[in-house]
Amino acid sequence: MSDQFLFIALPYVALISLVIGSILRFRINAFSYSSLSTQFLEDRWLAWASMPWHIGIIVILTGHLLAFSFPGVWTTLAAEPVFLITVEVVGALCAFLCLFGVLILLVRRFVDAKLQAVTNHLEIVVLLILLIQISSGLAVALLHRWGSSWAPGALGPYLHSILMLRPDAAYLSDMPPFVKMHIATAWVLLMLLPFTRLVHAMSLPFHYFFRAPQKVVWNSSRSEARFEQRLEKDTERRLFIKASVGLGASAVLLSLGTLDKFFKYFLKQDLSNEQEAHLLSEKLHRLKQSAQEREYELERMSKDDIFVAKLSDLSKTKGKYFIDYQMRPALAFRDENGLPILLSAKCTHLGCTVGQDLDEQGRVLCPCHISYFDIKTGSPSAGSPAKDPLPHIGWALQNEQGKTLLAQDAEGRREGSIEPGQLESSLLFIVKRFSGEAA
Amino acid sequence: MSERKTRFQRLTDFLSDRLPLHKLSFENMVTKKEVPVHGMSWAYYMGGLTLLFFLIQLVTGVFLLFYYQPTVSDAHASVEYITFFVNSGFLIRNLHTWSSSCMIFCLLVHVLTAFAMKGFARPREITWWSGSLLLILTFSFGFTGYLLPWHQIAVNATKVVLQSIEEVGRYLPGGFANLPTYIKELIQGEASVGQATLSRFYALHVVILPLIFFATLGLHLLSVQLHGISQGIDNPSKKTERFFPFFILKDFWLWGLAFLVVFILALCLPFESFYSYPLFEAFDSLGSTPDGIKPEWYFYFVYYPLEILPFWIVMLGMTFAGAGLFLTPSIFKHTSRKVLSIIASVAAAYLIIITFFGQAIYEAFKGVSG
Repeated sequence: MSDQFLFIALPYVALISLVIGSILRFRINAFSYSSLSTQFLEDRWLAWASMPWHIGIIVILTGHLLAFSFPGVWTTLAAEPVFLITVEVVGALCAFLCLFGVLILLVRRFVDAKLQAVTNHLEIVVLLILLIQISSGLAVALLHRWGSSWAPGALGPYLHSILMLRPDAAYLSDMPPFVKMHIATAWVLLMLLPFTRLVHAMSLPFHYFFRAPQKVVWNSSRSEARFEQRLEKDTERRLFIKASVGLGASAVLLSLGTLDKFFKYFLKQDLSNEQEAHLLSEKLHRLKQSAQEREYELERMSKDDIFVAKLSDLSKTKGKYFIDYQMRPALAFRDENGLPILLSAKCTHLGCTVGQDLDEQGRVLCPCHISYFDIKTGSPSAGSPAKDPLPHIGWALQNEQGKTLLAQDAEGRREGSIEPGQLESSLLFIVKRFSGEAA
Repeated sequence: MSERKTRFQRLTDFLSDRLPLHKLSFENMVTKKEVPVHGMSWAYYMGGLTLLFFLIQLVTGVFLLFYYQPTVSDAHASVEYITFFVNSGFLIRNLHTWSSSCMIFCLLVHVLTAFAMKGFARPREITWWSGSLLLILTFSFGFTGYLLPWHQIAVNATKVVLQSIEEVGRYLPGGFANLPTYIKELIQGEASVGQATLSRFYALHVVILPLIFFATLGLHLLSVQLHGISQGIDNPSKKTERFFPFFILKDFWLWGLAFLVVFILALCLPFESFYSYPLFEAFDSLGSTPDGIKPEWYFYFVYYPLEILPFWIVMLGMTFAGAGLFLTPSIFKHTSRKVLSIIASVAAAYLIIITFFGQAIYEAFKGVSG
């Protein structure tokens, strides 16, 4: 029964009062639309009250309006946690700003003598209703999680039904008491709006943007100076409040957004079984690589000769990488005469590893600073940043029984001999005996 | 006039002039502090912005320590783990790389504008010297941090730089010829860039450089506080702005904006997207060096000259530039700010051209000579 009164009868009374009251007031006393300012009577409290109040209420009303006007869009957006949290936080911050502002507005009406002279009962009543409205709104936001998603779901259809003259209070029947209170108070506010200073919300001063600037002229220079001084102080105060509100709000939002991500960074990571397996195999692969490098190192410390490749496996155009006795990269090619060419692959310019592919002129390329090296002589081509030749590396060919047939040191001196028929089956080694000779 | 001061007296005079600690009061630092308002006032924000990016580096760097493993077999895998598997790990890592570049950019602007505004003039020599040291430390951070992910480009670029230290030996007379090699081996720790190098760079990047940085930064900020904000232009402007709350509010506003921009960049754009992918594979000691090995953009100003000009010219130029940086307060003692601005503009133009068009210039040169 009370639902019927609060959510069907009251709205129509309020709407009628709003429309007729506004029109009447405009016709009878149009200049009162912008409301009487009390700034001349008291400006210190006012700056602290009016700015937070207006910043807060403009944001909140815009949010309400958006949710009522585009319920579909709003519901979709609110399904996104980041958006929802942002809206909740901005809303709560603005509500606290409003609360702060209204409390100070109320207090200044009671403590300032000049103000008391111009204060009527209705001003106090309106401020009290606003206080109730904000508190109930804040209570909905804080006590009932995700309150912002009710607006499009239930309030939108209800408002629609009122405006279409098919009022249906059933949409609101299961709402928590704070929500009901918030809606009912909203109607009361709309009803009182034409008869109070709240009416100035309907007179947006857009013409300020277009009109020519006006200069206020004072009849005495002393009062002008006093006014200027006061104005400067007030501007400074307002700037400071605006900046603090802006900085505070953005700091809260920024830290909320970042902390949300940063906090998760330290949580236990959620990996699927495959991901774990993949990671582990990667790790194992690299461990094996490191282990192999160590093995190479040990091998070079302890063994007199190290196997490079079967001679028949070597290519004339694509070198095979191996590690020389100094643990530096080296390349093995096969010459036209069937014998191997072994040379260091560490560029003599700045130490990059040269590429393994031979170009038409029998050269390999160091990609870092574009040096070409002839593999037969090792020397860099003219114009290369590298000036010194790549040193050759001594080698030995052994048969399968491990007997050295032919060996060559870094300077190209050979000992032993090999039959052409034995070449294909012979094995290529680097030998420690010659290793000291590489520069 | 008749009495000559002793050396010790002159030293104490010098110090008391440069570090007027008696000025250290709440009034001087907060209530009475004024910021000159003129055409170059925007430059007063650059130092603070650099500090913001350093703070981001500090926080994200500590975050990365939680997962990074400084061994040759695990380093790359751990960076991959951070990037692909840790919640927001990519964000932290991108923030670290983006903000390092932003820090160096702001720092360069800060140095150039401070130079143009004669921020080094007496009694602000200590501010300038400590700032120069901070500049070098920041570049060292960049160089040591580059190796830590242990991918192809990181290891090979580091190899090239370390090897070029050895090159200096060719130009040194007899006894000193081996000195660069010792220095290289001291940094490298073993015959080639390997585990010892990684461990050393890690220790430098994570502990040693930060400690030196903190101490130097403390001196820098103290000196800035003691002398207040420099006038910045030759004819001091009458207009000033109160530091507290106006300048500092704007400063924080700018910090918030800068953080938001870096944060969004880090969310949307991996820093590595500027390079081709194979460079970011794990370093392979048995393979050839891939194409396109390059340092970070903030080393282009020395990298491209090294590619184009003979080595000794670049080394000579760097030595003069380094010496000039620290001797600035005495060299330009009597230079007007107008001339200083011209010098700073030329330096800025050089940095911009070589950073953006270095590759094109290099190719043009190579095309002519080859």
